[in-house]
Amino acid sequence: MAQEEHGAGGIAEHLNYWTYKFDDSNPFMQIHLDTMLTTVVVASLLVGFSIWLGRRLTDGAPSGAQNFMESIVGFVDDTVRDNFPVHNPFIAPLALTVFVFIFLMNCLDIFPAFLFSHTASLFGLEHYRQVPTNDLNLPAAMAVCVFLMVLYYEFKLKPVHFCKELLLQPFASLLLDAKNPIVKLLGVALIPLNLVLKLVEELAKPLSLSFRLFGNMFAGEVIFLLIAFLLLGGGVVGMTAGFFVGLGWSMFHMFIGLLQAFIFMILTVVYLSIAHQPAEH
Amino acid sequence: MSIDLTFIGQIIVFMTLLILLRKFLYGPLSTLMEQRSAKIAEGLAAADAGKEAKAKADAEAAEQLKEARKKAQEILAAAEKRASEIQEEVTNKARDEAGQIVQAASEEVEAEVSRARQVLRKEVAGIAIAAAERVINSELDAKRHTKLIDDVVAQGFGNA
Repeated sequence: MAQEEHGAGGIAEHLNYWTYKFDDSNPFMQIHLDTMLTTVVVASLLVGFSIWLGRRLTDGAPSGAQNFMESIVGFVDDTVRDNFPVHNPFIAPLALTVFVFIFLMNCLDIFPAFLFSHTASLFGLEHYRQVPTNDLNLPAAMAVCVFLMVLYYEFKLKPVHFCKELLLQPFASLLLDAKNPIVKLLGVALIPLNLVLKLVEELAKPLSLSFRLFGNMFAGEVIFLLIAFLLLGGGVVGMTAGFFVGLGWSMFHMFIGLLQAFIFMILTVVYLSIAHQPAEH
Repeated sequence: MSIDLTFIGQIIVFMTLLILLRKFLYGPLSTLMEQRSAKIAEGLAAADAGKEAKAKADAEAAEQLKEARKKAQEILAAAEKRASEIQEEVTNKARDEAGQIVQAASEEVEAEVSRARQVLRKEVAGIAIAAAERVINSELDAKRHTKLIDDVVAQGFGNA
């Protein structure tokens, strides 16, 4: 029975979002209500927890939740301090937010694969995706925020150097160092190519940042679904095997979630620290 | 799996969360941690200063003890010296006095002897005169006279 029920639509059936469409003809004009709801709830819980913790902070010996959060803040602070040539008070909270938020999102994967969608179906919803990092929109939004910050700092801290880099990398030596006028002319002609290459290089940063997180979490989700089908469809042996495989994959995926949150944080810090690097002459 | 309005929504969620977490979580916690590390550094510095002060006080105490011992030694030596001086003085004085007493006694003895001699001489002269008177008064008899004088002399000396 279970096999028929879940097998009918295949895995793709379970990879749909609870979507509200503003305009059916334009695929951009829709919103994933499940992603929005989950992120807003998790973010609110996080802020509520912070306010609750802020009320009972003590500057004596910390304990419990304060100790835990202090170790995370200390870890993020150390990471930022190790990577940054100058002090920017905005970077550490950004890194902390990225790390904690993504980690909490990834942690939602520990809930059983069908729990959220089945609960949602009780309320008459057709689809509900439980892990928002599986939705490309969330990693992309964060990566674009980071990318815009990188651009902002590049232009704010070393506008001349950055523009020069945009136009002259990687074929700078042709134009600057060459004695031969023909080679120099070639260098000038290569400026558009330089610009394209540099733009690709820069755009690769947010792209790889978002797709890395999205790909890892999405693949994890798909494997969870595969295991779930195994669990539901294979009789006693399949269910036993599926249970243990699912347990193992849960643990591994939790580790992946932590690792991806850390990678996203450290890359954010590294990209921003490159933007803060003083221009060498 | 496509980019849509969720993207805009997520940017808003993320930025809001960033601002709120900075205000409520990171800000208070990092301030607190900085305060605590400052406090710990202060405590460690105070402990170091205390240790240093103690070492200094110990050294000072040892120095003072050494000085006091030295002073005590000096006082003791001075007292011993003074004691031996006094002893010597007393001995010398006693010896002088003894010498004086002996001298005075011997002078007195000499004076006594000379006085006795004078008295004796006077008596001998008186006896001689008395004997001579007796001899003159009686007849001159060699045997009797001699015997008389001898008697008188013996008598006189015996009385003297």
